[in-house]
Amino acid sequence: MIASTIQDFSGYNPTWCPGCGDWGIGVAIKQALIQLGLSPSTVAAVFGIGCSGNMNDFLNVYAIHSLHGRAIPNAIGIKIANHKMPVIAIVGDGDCYGEGGNHLVHACRGNHDITIIVHDNSVYGLTTGQVAPTAQKGFKSKSTPNGILETPINPLSLTITSGATFVAQSFAGDALHVVSMIKAGIEHKGFSVINILQPCVTFNKINTYQYYLQRVYKLDENYKKNDFKTAVEKSLEVSEEKFPLGVIYQVKKPTFTDQIPQIMETTLVNKKRFIDFEKIIKPFI
Amino acid sequence: MTDFTWMIGGEAGFGIMTTGLVFSKIATRSGYHIFDYVEYPSLIRGGHNAYEVHIFDSEVSHLSPNIDVLVCLNKETYEKHKARLTSSSLVMFDENEFEIKEEINKVIVPFKKILSDFKGQPIMKNTIALGASIGLLGGDVDGLIKIITEQFSKKGDEVINFNKQFIQAGFDVIKKNYLEKIVNYLIKKAGEEKLVMTGNDAFSLGSVIADARVYVAYPMTPSSTVLTDLAAWQEKTGMVARHAEDEISVINTAIGSSFAGVRSAVGTSGGGFALMVESISFAGITEIPLVVFIAQRPGPATGMPTWTEQGDLLFSVFSGHGEFPKIVLAPGDNEEMIELTAKAYNLADVYQMQVIVMSDMYLSESHKSVSKKFIDEFVETYKINRGKLIDKKSEANLKSKYLRYKITDDGISPRLVPGTPGHFYQANSYEHVEDGHTTEEANPRIDQVDKRARKWKTYLNQDFVMPKVYGNLEKSEAVFVSWGSTKGIVLQAQKLLKTKGIDSAFIHFNHLYPFDKEKVTALFSRQNKKYILLENNSWGQFGKLLAMETGVEIKEKILRYDGRSITAEEVVARIK
Repeated sequence: MIASTIQDFSGYNPTWCPGCGDWGIGVAIKQALIQLGLSPSTVAAVFGIGCSGNMNDFLNVYAIHSLHGRAIPNAIGIKIANHKMPVIAIVGDGDCYGEGGNHLVHACRGNHDITIIVHDNSVYGLTTGQVAPTAQKGFKSKSTPNGILETPINPLSLTITSGATFVAQSFAGDALHVVSMIKAGIEHKGFSVINILQPCVTFNKINTYQYYLQRVYKLDENYKKNDFKTAVEKSLEVSEEKFPLGVIYQVKKPTFTDQIPQIMETTLVNKKRFIDFEKIIKPFI
Repeated sequence: MTDFTWMIGGEAGFGIMTTGLVFSKIATRSGYHIFDYVEYPSLIRGGHNAYEVHIFDSEVSHLSPNIDVLVCLNKETYEKHKARLTSSSLVMFDENEFEIKEEINKVIVPFKKILSDFKGQPIMKNTIALGASIGLLGGDVDGLIKIITEQFSKKGDEVINFNKQFIQAGFDVIKKNYLEKIVNYLIKKAGEEKLVMTGNDAFSLGSVIADARVYVAYPMTPSSTVLTDLAAWQEKTGMVARHAEDEISVINTAIGSSFAGVRSAVGTSGGGFALMVESISFAGITEIPLVVFIAQRPGPATGMPTWTEQGDLLFSVFSGHGEFPKIVLAPGDNEEMIELTAKAYNLADVYQMQVIVMSDMYLSESHKSVSKKFIDEFVETYKINRGKLIDKKSEANLKSKYLRYKITDDGISPRLVPGTPGHFYQANSYEHVEDGHTTEEANPRIDQVDKRARKWKTYLNQDFVMPKVYGNLEKSEAVFVSWGSTKGIVLQAQKLLKTKGIDSAFIHFNHLYPFDKEKVTALFSRQNKKYILLENNSWGQFGKLLAMETGVEIKEKILRYDGRSITAEEVVARIK
């Protein structure tokens, strides 16, 4: 089989603002898919609504451009129907941690074998700069002119403690790192979350490239990513504005579809039709 | 034989439901038809449960105004239902538990003493009552023992024999003390094999016949037993039944699985459907097939969870923001539920639309006997039609560029299963051009809106079925108009009217929306007729829909919205 190229995966030209972190993430996703030997026909993606979700028109794959917040259950549905197909969800912070927060928590519990790529820039770009659930307390935005009253969501500790079996953090300013995290997430069998820190050059004047460059650091080789308590502790550094990059937590556990006996042998979409209706009818007599 | 009604009542949580179902099965296995109904509060313990079984020689799908045998496991049962007793009704109870002062036809069964003699649990009062009921009705006690044996087969002989004693004890009380009161309503006779099933069971079976592979739901009365049925069967059927975290996730999981190529459905009641509506619209624009089962209960909000109403018709028909086509069906009974459910999956695939199947507590939770032969024949004749889904055979003929939303004359575009080599596409919740990419341009927008709308036209030409007319429309002055679960009640009202020499007609809608305006209007063009709208809601919602679509306004209305279904007798009373 001939390997796919960036060109194969490229749809329309992106419309993101010049300098937006989405550019780097967009290229990184394509690179990761190529390096994994995938093609536009062999992978499914679900996009949320937001600047990140607009990648639907820029990335060629089998895809659903979902509603705001609903990408995760769509991705779960695709996986249940065809668990042999890699499924990724490309979402934003408001999308995944706000509107779709409940889905995220429960998808972690289910250890669904899907990969969630979160664009985390602390603001709502597409609706012109309101505050997102990851913004630091006090962050001033159009919807919070006196500063946000709520404390931020911690995506890492939230997902680790909810049951995700792969939780990573990356930074849009380091495209190679983003590629490696997305690859590792897709290769992981189970629910994987990659929180990608990303400046919004238009609406977020606080969390800039400079801001992140000063505060991100890569986990060292001796970091024990399979230790739950270590991972939770590491994830809490975010509240001190220290941002570890790398795989924060990874363990092996049976996935949702691993535990469904009726799809052990064949995917649901490729199964033969059930016709032994007597088995169902008999108990009603 | 005349029809008769047996009712058992007692405190909630003490096995009334199981007992009633056993009684229904004895009746059908003895050659009779049944329709039953449960009354219960939204509680697990405490409160009052009542289960009535209406038994008849031929098909039945309504309740009787009278109770012929009332089994009172507590005093409340008597107090709540005594108004429906007649001078010949028999009332079974234990004088050691409570007194009934009125002059009635008493059948005293010492439940308390029997329990203590055989060291039984309070729940076994039901078993005694079943034995005594069968004795009183001249029924088949061996048949009852067989059902109990089947029920406890996994628990072993000891449990079976223990239960048998209570059947026998109840049965013996009648044989010993009440020989003269035995009414031979339940004498075993030959009859075809029948299933005892609820409307929810019928939806579940219809889904299995139609090869549905994913069912997602969040428990909500009165729809929950669809989820529990399909979950219990899933290892046999190969289906995946998922109980998701909320109704929003429910419908979006099903949209995902349907996109990936498997027949998918969701089920809920009004409140859960309210949460799903955002994604009804999403499935509408992405043209992802979906079957949606709605078992209505009285709203608004939490309303009356365990009672019945047809109050979500307009909500369902107009659900979803924006303009897009969908199909709404409303089966009238179990047989129609099986047929229309299986049809719904075909319609969803053929038109790449959302097909809503409307039920309500009355249809969803009542058991009605269904002939096994009917089901066998339906299974034989049902053909799966996946419409323009491109299968493995035809995918080789695909032109180089696949267009998911290709403009076509019938409005339906070929659909490709994700994973098909050499292609890709997006199902886009934004307005899109033919290949799925987002657009905000005027012309492609108009093209896609019109394309989607044409699917409705195609449906009306190909698959819409006109309402069935029961009785003689030309001859009758009184013409009933109704939809969904009221079917059996109106048919019974027609029978009662006939005995009074009154001819009536009944227009019953089960292909609820959209409908063929011209043809439907023609049904209402007759002069000198009294059209009577009959609905279990307070607005006359179907009447409003009919007026909106055709200009036909039905002035005469029989509406009931107290959580109980309209009865045939109420209908008759209004015709005089």
